Amino acid sequence: MISLFKRYGTLVGFIAIVAFFWFNLPDTFMTARNWLNISQQISMLAVVAFTMTFVMVMGDFDLSVGSMASLSGITAALLFSQGYPVAAGVAAALAMGILGGFFNGFLVSILGILPFVATLGTLTMFSGLAFWLSDGKTIFGRDIPKTFSGFARGGVDIELAGTLALKIPYLSILALVVLAAVWLVLEQTSFGRRLYAIGGNYEAARLAGVKVRRLRMAAFALTGFGAAIGGLMYASRVASANPTQGSGLMLDAIAAVFLGMTMSEEGEPRVLATLVGVLILGVLDNGLTQMSVDSYIREILVGAIILTAVASSSVGKFRR
Amino acid sequence: MSFLEVAHVSKSYSGAIALKDARLDIAPGEVHALMGENGAGKSTIIKILAGVTAADSMAATIDGKPVTITDAQESYRHGLRFIHQELNIVPHLSVAENIMLGLPYPRRFGALVDWRKLNAMARAALDKLQVSHIDTRIKAARLSTGDQMLMKIAATLISAGDNMARLYVMDEPTAALTGAESRKLFEVIDELKQSGASILYVSHRMNEVMEICDRVTVFRDGQTIATRNLSDTDKNEVIHLMTGRDVKDSYPPRRAAKGEDVLLETKALRTRQVRDVDFQVNRGEILGIAGLADAGQSAVLLALLGVDRVQAGHVTIHGSPIAAQNPSAAWRNHVAYIPRERRREGLMLQRRIVDNINLPHLQKLSFAAGFLSRRRERRFADALGKKVRLKSGGMNQACYQLSGGNQQKVVFARALGDAPELLLLDEPTRGVDVGAKFDIYTLIRERSAEGAAVVMTSSDLPELIGMCDRILIMREGAQHSIIETDGLSPADLLAKFYD
Repeated sequence: MISLFKRYGTLVGFIAIVAFFWFNLPDTFMTARNWLNISQQISMLAVVAFTMTFVMVMGDFDLSVGSMASLSGITAALLFSQGYPVAAGVAAALAMGILGGFFNGFLVSILGILPFVATLGTLTMFSGLAFWLSDGKTIFGRDIPKTFSGFARGGVDIELAGTLALKIPYLSILALVVLAAVWLVLEQTSFGRRLYAIGGNYEAARLAGVKVRRLRMAAFALTGFGAAIGGLMYASRVASANPTQGSGLMLDAIAAVFLGMTMSEEGEPRVLATLVGVLILGVLDNGLTQMSVDSYIREILVGAIILTAVASSSVGKFRR
Repeated sequence: MSFLEVAHVSKSYSGAIALKDARLDIAPGEVHALMGENGAGKSTIIKILAGVTAADSMAATIDGKPVTITDAQESYRHGLRFIHQELNIVPHLSVAENIMLGLPYPRRFGALVDWRKLNAMARAALDKLQVSHIDTRIKAARLSTGDQMLMKIAATLISAGDNMARLYVMDEPTAALTGAESRKLFEVIDELKQSGASILYVSHRMNEVMEICDRVTVFRDGQTIATRNLSDTDKNEVIHLMTGRDVKDSYPPRRAAKGEDVLLETKALRTRQVRDVDFQVNRGEILGIAGLADAGQSAVLLALLGVDRVQAGHVTIHGSPIAAQNPSAAWRNHVAYIPRERRREGLMLQRRIVDNINLPHLQKLSFAAGFLSRRRERRFADALGKKVRLKSGGMNQACYQLSGGNQQKVVFARALGDAPELLLLDEPTRGVDVGAKFDIYTLIRERSAEGAAVVMTSSDLPELIGMCDRILIMREGAQHSIIETDGLSPADLLAKFYD
């Protein structure tokens, strides 16, 4: 009974949060429109958190995803403003993400720097690079092509009874695609299984012939890639890029994975559980905003919920 | 009258008996040796005396009065002091501070540390040991291992009133010391003895024991076999007491003659930890590696697995030099390895049995693009589980729920997964119950009969003699000799470990 509660406590908590808002916002909360809205609001965080799961599976984490997201947006916007086509800007931004991720992986896996220190360092570097490239200014307006910013406004129309009923945003669909890809890689391939093995026991995995260094680099690269996607989504959504716009993503992404970990028996991150973590943060944000709760109080609540979830599970505690 | 006497000491760890009605008595002012093979129960009784582990039963007296030792503080109050192999020093604090650690520092003006007085107190403690070459103001990290040990001993001299140190328990104190450092330690031991304190000296080094100890107690299989005055005995008798038994017929017989062709060969192999390693192993042959604790047995296997870089000499398998030096390449070349520390180096304890068995074999259980086939995975693990006679609640059970013997079988199943041609086994039956041991011996024999070469280490000497064709003796990181096991007794083998 207690272990059941431990395992599903976070899920129960999520349902309780939904029920609470449903009760308090009877007209606006539990509507398809609002949920689509939520899905769009959380899509960027979701992509970053899903791909953050790669490194957290190994027991590492990446603090630099926020500034990588900013850097990716700046990179794309800068190329747009020089007249390059959308595809080129996007490709360059994604390459930047992979490159930065590999750099993180190199620091952690080859040089042996603790992930906390290594990615704290690159957080600062990426952020500085974003400021330097953009000259500290926001890139917006005519510099951002309509095809790029249009993506975030577009969606797939769903017609019901002949009338336009709903529009599923492209951003939400993209997040779902990333979710499916991460799930496939982590759960269905030998690559993913080896990452879990590294997280389960690094030394045992190494002695059993797992190429631990190479895999660790690859996982960091994937996390960097995800951060770059998140950054592009953000830039598209606000039709501009500035060197700080991604910085809020990092803590929320780590928090979402942690919330997800509380649902696993072994305390391991699972990407579907990360989705629940992301939803908790997204729903809270959406509901509390609708109830006009002060944003500072919102932060206090979010922090308290994370701590409650972790405290009531076995994750993140000292093991004997 | 004895200073300390403990009797009827029994202790078992979840079924495995560590001590069975053992006893030990130590006279005031004597240096008393405690000897026995690995696993004889020496460490357990030290932990019980230190109050770290509780005995299942024990009758202890100090100066003839019954006492209990329930925790470390009580052990300290009885005057027991422990000098461990791994010295707990604080490297960036000064020698004086390390000596005074845990005690209130002398102060000035009620708040500031009185450094002059602190150094003087530490100096006085070292002087009592006639140690004058250590500067109390330098950082402890700058001292040699031997001097760090002297520093720790000095620290035990600083104690108030009733808590005088009366017995020093030294566990393999000279293991990391040079000859000169050892001599200095022996002088200090003599000083301690003159002051009326006793020393319990745990060591494998026969010559030292003969030189500095007054009496010896021998443990075997958790029991006290004998206590002798060292003046009335000799090296051979002590070794006989330590091993005692004959090789029982508890090892499955070899099934096929060993092959003619050499599978593994090393020439003048040197790594960070070992040197001069020179041997050949044929197909179907089992080579043992033996020696005192940490003489380099495990390190030879690590070199063959590609964990420790080969610095000189070379290793050939099938006559061709090994290519890449890493475990991943080794597994690909059908080298399989069983690590010494099953829980730390072998298993992902939280993960399922199937994940643990299949880890090195995921490649061949996947479709294109690395997508795993659940069905192949399941079949593969099932077949191996059956082969090693794993007793579990199904392949999805987490490994931490298994007994030690079954955990070891999981590691074996993993190693046998890809028809290994070279099996590297580091203490393959460590912490395994008798039934599982026999299963493991049978598995080794089977694979050997199928033409694999096996290299194994063990601190269980009868096991080595029972399983191996030849045994390579390591002494302090270097190969000493290779001997045939035909007609070899454990006592003969043990005697080879010593000078």
